[in-house]
Amino acid sequence: MSTTTTITYDDRSVRRFMIASLCWGIIGMLVGVLAATQLSWWQMNGKFLETLTFGLFKADGLSYITFGRIRPLHTNAVIFAFVGNMAFAGIYYSTQRLCKVRTASDWLSGIHFWGWQAIILGAALSLPAGLTRGKEYAELIWPLNIAVVVIWVVFGVNFFWTLARRNERALYVSIWFYIATIVTIAMLYIVNHLSIPTSWVHSYPIFGGVQDGLVQWWYGHNAVAFFLTTPILGIMYYFIPKAADRPVYSYRLSIIHFWALVFIYIWAGPHHLLNTALPKWLQYLGMLFSLMLWAPSWAGMLNGLLTLRGAWDKLRTDPILKFFAAAVTFYGMATFEGPLLSIRAVNALSHYTDWTIGHVHSAALGWNGFMAAGMFYWLAPRLWNTKLWSKSLANMHFWIGLVGILLYVAAMWAAGIMQGLMLSETNPGGATLKYEFLETLQQIKIFYIFRSFGGALYLLGFLMCAVNIFMTARSGKASDVSVEVVVLNQDQKDNMRLGETFKSDPVTHIILALAFMILWIFLPAHADKAAFAVAVILVIRAVKLFKKNGTQWSDFFDRLIENYLPFTVLIFLAAAIGGAVQIIPSLLVNKAVNVEDRMQVVYTPLELCGRDLYVSEGCYNCHSQMIRTLVPDVMRYGPTENQGYSRLGESLFDHPYQWGSKRTGPDLAREGGAIAKDSKVLRIGKRDNLWHFNHFMNPRQTSPGSNMPPYPWLFDTKADLKELPKKIAVQTQLGVPWPAMTGDAIEQSARDQGMELAESLVKAGAYLPQKPNLSHDELRNQLADSKVVAMIAYIQKLGAYQEVEKPTSKEGRPLDPDSYRRLSSPSPKVEAK
Amino acid sequence: MSSEPEIKVASYADGKSKIVIRPHEYDGIQEYDQTLPNWWLFIFYGAILFFPLCWLAYYQLGFMRPDEEVITQKMAQIEMAKAKDLQDMMAHLDNSVLNDKWAKDATVVANGRETYMANCTACHGQNLDAKMDLGNGQSVPLPGLSLVDGQWKYGSQPMDLFKLINLGTPPESAGNNGARMAPWGQQMAPIKIVELVSFIMSQNPKDFPDAHN
Repeated sequence: MSTTTTITYDDRSVRRFMIASLCWGIIGMLVGVLAATQLSWWQMNGKFLETLTFGLFKADGLSYITFGRIRPLHTNAVIFAFVGNMAFAGIYYSTQRLCKVRTASDWLSGIHFWGWQAIILGAALSLPAGLTRGKEYAELIWPLNIAVVVIWVVFGVNFFWTLARRNERALYVSIWFYIATIVTIAMLYIVNHLSIPTSWVHSYPIFGGVQDGLVQWWYGHNAVAFFLTTPILGIMYYFIPKAADRPVYSYRLSIIHFWALVFIYIWAGPHHLLNTALPKWLQYLGMLFSLMLWAPSWAGMLNGLLTLRGAWDKLRTDPILKFFAAAVTFYGMATFEGPLLSIRAVNALSHYTDWTIGHVHSAALGWNGFMAAGMFYWLAPRLWNTKLWSKSLANMHFWIGLVGILLYVAAMWAAGIMQGLMLSETNPGGATLKYEFLETLQQIKIFYIFRSFGGALYLLGFLMCAVNIFMTARSGKASDVSVEVVVLNQDQKDNMRLGETFKSDPVTHIILALAFMILWIFLPAHADKAAFAVAVILVIRAVKLFKKNGTQWSDFFDRLIENYLPFTVLIFLAAAIGGAVQIIPSLLVNKAVNVEDRMQVVYTPLELCGRDLYVSEGCYNCHSQMIRTLVPDVMRYGPTENQGYSRLGESLFDHPYQWGSKRTGPDLAREGGAIAKDSKVLRIGKRDNLWHFNHFMNPRQTSPGSNMPPYPWLFDTKADLKELPKKIAVQTQLGVPWPAMTGDAIEQSARDQGMELAESLVKAGAYLPQKPNLSHDELRNQLADSKVVAMIAYIQKLGAYQEVEKPTSKEGRPLDPDSYRRLSSPSPKVEAK
Repeated sequence: MSSEPEIKVASYADGKSKIVIRPHEYDGIQEYDQTLPNWWLFIFYGAILFFPLCWLAYYQLGFMRPDEEVITQKMAQIEMAKAKDLQDMMAHLDNSVLNDKWAKDATVVANGRETYMANCTACHGQNLDAKMDLGNGQSVPLPGLSLVDGQWKYGSQPMDLFKLINLGTPPESAGNNGARMAPWGQQMAPIKIVELVSFIMSQNPKDFPDAHN
């Protein structure tokens, strides 16, 4: 009956992706070490080149390698280039073997490989040039975004085509994770990159303010989930049992772990915006779903670690198992820390500090980096048909890498917790804060040095890995494995129709119960409780049915994984639902017409120009613009009554939003101020124009001990005022209420404001060291259309708002759970002043 | 790959601490099925249960107040504490107290110098002359006013200095080229401002002779 055939696996693609991963990994980590040293020594932002080139290069800073530009380069390189290529290598290798078929199309594999590398090259050129969308891990400019989508689709088509041709009835758990990765990343990436171009290299995201923040972290958090976690879990499920030669610990754990991760992860994004102006119901969803993630994540760890049971003795001698065991342990540690940091009270301390940086690196270096190393060491001898060149070098890599991670993570914990505590410490009596921001920075500088050292050690270990793999490849010969497989006929797989999928008991009950849970969140008082009751009843009924017909349910699942399309549809639904529930209501409710209290004043053309520069220089990498509803935040950044915490309306027209995620420098939300006396547009904020001028030239002159890079190029390059009419037209299209202006009027307005600001600077005594002999007028004209003036104009605008008085509605707003809550809440008891 | 002999082949384990091995293998990979540890189930169900409990507590039962209310109330309390601090200080602060008690105390002046160097030099300069030395004999002006030129634009009495630092540039003034000093009283305890005033007085013996004899 059954026919057999001989197939040859496409291992060439695996080798290519693996080599690419190693090369980009070295570059990405090297950039990371450079960025780390920049936080300790500002000279690392370019001044050090003076010494290296014996004075040939002369400048206080080099724009291409300032922290604000290369931090995105580092994150993109390690996520998309290092881990991306590594994951592709693992996916291409294991999928073929788990499906007993060669990858469907060599041609598509080739496009996937070269296309991906071309995109990375584009990123490596554009990011240092300051071409960015200004959203973390989504910085690449729009033409590259389109390329990413195209290549991802190529990858997806190639993958699903391979599944369709498989000679294995059912899909192994690794494949489940790969499917989840492909469909979810496509969804996340496309939505978060929706933007309208203003030129070939610039665009505005279509979402603004709180909506942009919500979409950004829905994406940002799940890039971690579905790019750095699920594909690697799939790899874990293939390579750990292989390397340990042991069966996987528990199949049911795989099932629960898989579905729980895919469903729950998506909801957790708002935990990046806790205690901010984000509506509270979203904050609660973010926190509570993050807590729910703890057990499913640990299920993955258990399944990885307990698979090693019975093979523990091999850990002593086998570097591959060492890497895997350590990686899975770090995964467990990071996925415990994640939920912990998502608790609003913990987050109040940890957010914006280095604790977060420590958290992601324990996962990135420990989990991703060590999984990659283990997989490379396992693959290389098989791909080149030889032995690993040096086992002791691999062991050395392990120990050096491990020490590097521990140093790194411990330093960041200490720095983050210490700075968090110092920033919220008050003087006795509690009326004033104890430390200036800069004082807290001085205290953690020593930890920054430890961190750089830890990172450098890790890089050293990784270089050993690259050498080892290179020598292994040289000692062997690239060879593709051939095997004999039994051909599976079409009628033995993929014969479940979609209707059948949705009519099954498990699926209907889950969908109905979820629908009522969601109604419970959104319905007005009393109706919500009814919906909750129905949801509970449905859950009870489902449990009863499962107890009665358990085998039917498990048979259904076993059949489902023999049908890749219905299975993929269910995965997509599970992953899509969380985002839909959070984002769609937010798009409908959080609009200017609904905002009470305060509304942002629209920028002037020059201020917008400065804002785009702020984004382009990557200022958001170190400065937040969000004063949280926390006492230390308000005391530090918005102490007076007309300042206070940041309101939702105050950033509503910001495309992209700039709330930030890390405060290496202080928050800037209320840095600006009112229009100066006798002026139409000139604003003076917390600090005056000359202060900012001096600060951009040499931050340490105004703020001794600061680690901010100097920005000399802002002083002698011109701001691009010609682009403004096009940009403002796009913003108008997006709903920003710009006043009607002709293109000429826009440019003229920018020039006039620049002139006024430059005049104020020159009058106050502004001075360009490299051009000391300019007359008053020459200097003013020189500065008027310079980048620094546009930037100062923007900074002085930050925090400008107008009061919007609206009668507070007596009824709740549909799709806004917080409005129902406010109705039932008694008015606050503030004692008389 | 060989599995332990006592483990049965079946699709799913059917009871606590039972282990079966699944009949199918993928590329040589086998899978056990084992029931889940209780501690894990406890975390799993506990976290899921916590969601409706927390939601009910906040949205349906009205426990815990909205963040805006909490922060507004806390800030009002802090404002009151601040006002009281200031009141306590002002109750026994005048020109002569500043001259006699504070400005003559070397520790107070030293504290004031420290605060000055941390907060004031960006605008008033290291040498209080509102200039930045460029190192080549040249100097450029800073945003603030000189504090050693004998000019006291907003009043020359010790209490005038205290008020100016506490409240910032008076609203009716246009400032220095538009530059206005921040109301430092928002960030600094009154005692810090007293120390600052003492330090500035110590640097101007001619203008504040009473503080020096």
